[in-house]
Amino acid sequence: MDAALRAIAVFLEVLVLTGIIYCVLNGVRLAALDFGIAQRFSRPIVLFLAAVGSLLVVFFASHLSIFYPSY
Amino acid sequence: MDFWTGQLSYIHDVFKPIIIAVLIFSPILLAAFAVGFYRRLALWRVGRSDSRSGNVLARVRTTLGVALAHLRLLSEAYPGWMHFLIFWGAAMVIVGKLIRLFSYPVGIDNPPQEVFLYSSLMSEIGAVVIIIGGLLAVYRRYVLKPSRLDTKPDDTLIFPWVFLILVTGFLIKGYRIATSDADPTDWATWSPIGYGFSKIMATFATDYRDQILVWHRVVIHTVPAFLFGIYVFITRSRIQHLWLSPLNIFFRSLRPKGELVPIDLENAEVWGASKIEDFTWKQLLDLDACTRCGRCEDNCPANLSGKALSPKKLVQDLREHLYEVYPYPVKKPAETRRDMLSEVITEQVIWDCTTCRACQEACPVYVEHIDKIIDMRRNLALERAEFPESAQQALMSLQSRGHPWRGTTATRTDWMADLGIKVLSEDSNVDVLYWVGCTAALEDRNMKVAIATAKIMQAMGINFGILGVEETCCGDPARRMGDEYLFQTLCQKNIELFKGYGIKKIVTTCPHCFNTLKHEYPQFGGKFEVVHHSELLADLIRQGKLRLGSIQGMKVAYHDSCYLGRHNDIYQQPRQVLDSISGLTRVELARSGKRAFCCGGGGGHMWMEEPAEQRLNVRRTEQVIEAGVDVVATACPFCLSMFEDGLKAKEKEDSIAALDLSELVVRALTGQPSE
Ligand code: SF4
Ligand code: SF4
Repeated sequence: MDAALRAIAVFLEVLVLTGIIYCVLNGVRLAALDFGIAQRFSRPIVLFLAAVGSLLVVFFASHLSIFYPSY
Repeated sequence: MDFWTGQLSYIHDVFKPIIIAVLIFSPILLAAFAVGFYRRLALWRVGRSDSRSGNVLARVRTTLGVALAHLRLLSEAYPGWMHFLIFWGAAMVIVGKLIRLFSYPVGIDNPPQEVFLYSSLMSEIGAVVIIIGGLLAVYRRYVLKPSRLDTKPDDTLIFPWVFLILVTGFLIKGYRIATSDADPTDWATWSPIGYGFSKIMATFATDYRDQILVWHRVVIHTVPAFLFGIYVFITRSRIQHLWLSPLNIFFRSLRPKGELVPIDLENAEVWGASKIEDFTWKQLLDLDACTRCGRCEDNCPANLSGKALSPKKLVQDLREHLYEVYPYPVKKPAETRRDMLSEVITEQVIWDCTTCRACQEACPVYVEHIDKIIDMRRNLALERAEFPESAQQALMSLQSRGHPWRGTTATRTDWMADLGIKVLSEDSNVDVLYWVGCTAALEDRNMKVAIATAKIMQAMGINFGILGVEETCCGDPARRMGDEYLFQTLCQKNIELFKGYGIKKIVTTCPHCFNTLKHEYPQFGGKFEVVHHSELLADLIRQGKLRLGSIQGMKVAYHDSCYLGRHNDIYQQPRQVLDSISGLTRVELARSGKRAFCCGGGGGHMWMEEPAEQRLNVRRTEQVIEAGVDVVATACPFCLSMFEDGLKAKEKEDSIAALDLSELVVRALTGQPSE
């Protein structure tokens, strides 16, 4: 796999993962609110989940860059 | 079978995490659904009781009809087919995946296993179908933006979420194919999309293949899928209609469409609804089941004429109020709350409704708007004595003179002078009671309809009579204006009168009287055979007794009365009558049949003042003018009066005539106008 194609492939996979993480965490936020967590905690929840999401994206991006085949 | 054996080397690596995820998340999903369901149940149960359990077979039939065959939904092509694609695509994916998952315990190298091959193909086709339906939905919601749709952030989230779950499904399959040694032709047959993905995917060295990469590819697919399930089942998302809609359809009303539920005036703790708890559990379920699709709003004549009422908003406002009064967890109601009949739903909105039923006929999940509106009116009328001024005057006239036509000097027998019609107080030996109704008896224009109908019955040799001065209002205006007490008084008085004369069969020209006598009098022990004159005429024509001549060169549009059409499903008979007149050309109005636009006279509006720019009859008259007809035919005295006024307002009274069916029949019989 040549370097340019590899970069594109990794980028696309990270993009899909980012989308998934965004949707999942948003779903967690909405479910939390529906389970009775007061609306005023919405912002701290968003900040917390955004931090978790960012860490996950970084993890997956680095993970994929290391493992993605280069042959 | 290469497709299967080729997957053998990695199938366990891929399936193991999926099975583990299923085992972990299924109980969580079930528990979350149970909690969410219990919460809803607790909310609905704050409402009053209502028996909705009878006739299970009919309930199941309709539920399946809407869910599987998309009854009602397909009446609008774009959103209907869009929903059809998403629903059936999802069904294919779910069934395909379940079968596929089943292959894990039973093994995949054990022919014949063709069913698994087809399940693989079915899932892929299903996913593509969902994506096509989803793209149609996105285009409609974000590009076409019909005004009836409102978009909340939760709605937007659904689209990328579903899309990504489907794409990651293809990714997993693509990866499995890329690492397989099976014959490529076989792959392309049973997994065409996954095969395509495999072509653009890199494969990993064996060391990594069974490791974390397999895991994360699987995990990013299954975990979001499960969380999506939880989100769908318990949150406010629009997609919770997956379970709420079938539930609501199952418990729909099986009463006759035009029938209102009576109040037990002696024992009811509250008359009508002034608080959210005064609604029944089913009325509260309605609020949750509304999908916010806006079809009701798009069909509501009041809304389309610029009035404050939007049936969709009414339902959503009540729902918001329910959740405001009973915040989670449902224990006791909030200590302070807004007044439902002034601050949540304004009085204006409550009185704007003509009870035309266009909203209910359009609603794909069978939400019942009219009962809620009438319940709120009942409370305003009976407990708060708050009415629009003009409604109050009509009710006072009903109370004191037995009819709502305040100011008329006519008597109930003026119209029949010299016609030789039997009056029951003088001769009760009749087969049929002609129930004239207040409007045909007392309003100048409509007296001609009574005359025409009587002449036809005489010509047909029907032995009929009328009640004359003994006739009082059937009670429809009182009931629809919320004065249930007055309605029940009138109703019981009439029933006694009918029974006193031994009446068995009643003919009437008014769809409102027809509906009330036929469906609402039995609630109080008054069971009679009630026939609308359009049914009678069609019947006489079918039997060959009534042979109509011709009316040359007349172009006619038939306007469906709401209480004849939507409330009683009488659409064909009036058309059959018109079609049997030769030389007459019948055309359909742009909105006709189930979608007919109300004339504006129902629900007591015949006697309520309306701002000139919001008059429904003017709107409907414009549609008649657009149709380019000579005559608008009706089978309802309210519609007739409304068109008379509308045509005058549009200065078209000289070029377009509003005529009742009976008047056209007389003209076809005699060659002369009916007067
Ligand atoms: S019954 Fe007619 S007027 Fe009333 S809300 Fe429904 S559509 Fe609108
Ligand atoms: S009440 Fe029915 S038609 Fe109206 S928005 Fe809700 S689901 Fe749609």
